[in-house]
Order: sequence, then structure tokens, then C-alpha cells
Amino acid sequence: MKVSKKISPENILLIGFPSNGLVGTFTISYLINNLGMKQIGEIDHPDLPPTLFVEDGEILPPIRIYKKNNIFVIISDLPFDPYLAYVFAESILQYCKKNNIQKIIIVSGMETINGDPKAPKIYGLVTHQSLEEILYTNQISKFLTGSIFGADAAIITVFRKSKIPTLILYAECHPFFPDPEASIIAITTLAQILNIKVDTIDIQKKMERLRIQHRNLMEETIRTLQQQENQPARAPQIYR
Amino acid sequence: MIDNNTKEFEIRIASSISSIFSDDIERQILSPLSCLREYGTNWLLEFDLPLVNKKDIKITFDEDSISVEAKLKETYSEEKLGKKTKFEYFKKTVILPNKVDNNNTSAKFVNGRLKITIPKTISSHKIKIE
Repeated sequence: MKVSKKISPENILLIGFPSNGLVGTFTISYLINNLGMKQIGEIDHPDLPPTLFVEDGEILPPIRIYKKNNIFVIISDLPFDPYLAYVFAESILQYCKKNNIQKIIIVSGMETINGDPKAPKIYGLVTHQSLEEILYTNQISKFLTGSIFGADAAIITVFRKSKIPTLILYAECHPFFPDPEASIIAITTLAQILNIKVDTIDIQKKMERLRIQHRNLMEETIRTLQQQENQPARAPQIYR
Repeated sequence: MIDNNTKEFEIRIASSISSIFSDDIERQILSPLSCLREYGTNWLLEFDLPLVNKKDIKITFDEDSISVEAKLKETYSEEKLGKKTKFEYFKKTVILPNKVDNNNTSAKFVNGRLKITIPKTISSHKIKIE
């Protein structure tokens, strides 16, 4: 008699936090909702600013962990300056080690020259060569040349030194305005990579309202990103 | 958590309530996000104006500021501090770093984003290179 052992799928962690166009936050938040993921925990650290949100009388921690089957999700409603981004990344790495996470996917946004806002593209960057195949299989253009600053750079720096391969998906977006339209390409690409079905009709219907609703988080995110020390000449002037 | 089968989708992103202070609840006016970027020969001033039709946007400017007003195509409602508030307009004035060249300033409205290109006004004086 031949006994075959069932191979369990690898644990994958998806990460979203406020950055350019709030693409990561919109994408991950939508997936949590669409897949009906359950909150299983939160991330806390003494260096993170003590913040709690209250929604319909329920206390929400700013960095939450969700899970469904082999898919783990960490979402932050707090934008990070580079120092806090390191703290966040280190906390995630600890979590990954404890939960046998074998692959990490971060979703973020970036501005490109001559990008078409009506047809945003997506680019991928990998920390380990083992993930190059995902880019090829899913026809994701490789992020070839450019600069990464702030929270994204801090988090990638921590992950590239770890043993857990990380894929960063960058959707073209408007960096200073909430851009749910850009997050649709990120949602579709993630669904393709994870081989899951995700309907984007709901987010398409609500895009304009989401842009109004999340003005404040966008503003807070820009303020935090502008705290970066070494880029004063590149920092845009933002009025609110 | 919103039940996907029974309720409409809602993005659950928590954020603080400071925007309540820049919106004019009484006059039902929202303050749009805007950004001003400097390029070689011009400034690019952008306003994020979702839920707006091009025909309902009014741009006015004087020497050193630009004001944008726009009527929303439908009422936007939001609950702030337990109170349901309704908004009908966007309105904002931005002070510019230099004088507006009213002959060459142009505007485009694409995808709910208003882009105003403002040429830099330069009073030219030649400098002799020694």
C-alpha cells in the first residue's frame, strides 16, 4: 500500500500600510473583507506611538493580523516614519519566524513618469531570486530602475537580510491623493498570484467616495513621509 | 468585520478625526486634498475632486492665490463624532509662491483630478559672466 502525505500549502503573509496613494491599505483592507478573513491578533511594540481607534464602540488596534487558511495578513492604519518602519519590519519578522511564513508580499504604490491614471501598471521587486518566477508567471514587469525612500525602503532593507523571500508589488498611482483605482490592479495581481477569486466590483463602485473618505489618512501619511531627514529637496509642497 | 454576503463593502481603515476641522460642516463644504509641485519653468497645482463634473468647477485667481469651488454631483454623507453630516461642495484657496501669469495659466480635469499649470513669472535681468 502506498501512503502519500498531503502537502500543505506554504504560509504566505500579505502586508499593507499607508504609503503612496494609500494603495497598500486599500488593497489589503479590501482583500480582508472580500475573503472574509478573521482577525487573529495585533502587533504592539513599546516604540510604536500608543494609538487606538474606536469604531462603532469597538476598540481597534492600529496594526492587526488576519488569517484565512494559509494566507496571513498584517495591516497597519498607522503611517510609519523610517524608524518606526524598522520597528514594524522587525516585529513582522519575529511573527513570521513563529508562524512558519515562507513568503511575504508587500503591496505599495509609486509614481511613474507618464503613467496613465486610467490604466495603471504594476511592477514587482523581489528580495530573493526564488521569487523571480512569480513575476514571470504572472507577467508582472520587474521594477528595474528607481529609488525607494522612507518606510518602504526601511522594511525592504530588513526583509532582504532575512531568509524569508519578499515580493513588493508597486502599483502606479498618484502619490499624494488616495488612489483606489490603482489598488484594483494590485488586488487583481494578488488574486492571480494567490490563485484565489476576488471580485473588484464593490471597490469600483465606491472609488470616488473612498477618495473623499480617506483624505485625512492620506494627509497624515504625507506628513509622516515628509519627516524623512535626507530628502528635503525632493519633498513636495503640500497644502491642506 | 463586515459580512461580505449581507452588507455592502466597506474599507475598514481607521484614522483620526482631524479632517473634521478643515471641512465646513455648517456650509456643507469639503476641503479637497491638493498639492503643489515645482518644475523647471512652471508650478503644477493639483486638486483631488472626486464626485465632481468638469462643468461644475469654478477656478478663480488673483495675484498670488488660486481658489477652486466645485459642486458635487451627488451629496456626500459621513458620520463624524456620531453625527451624520452632509456635504454638497468642495472649496479651497491655495496661496502661491509667486505671482500668477494669467495669460498662460491652464487647467485640465482628468479622472477627478484638476491640474492647473502655472508658468513661473521671471523678471529677467542679464548677468554678465566674468
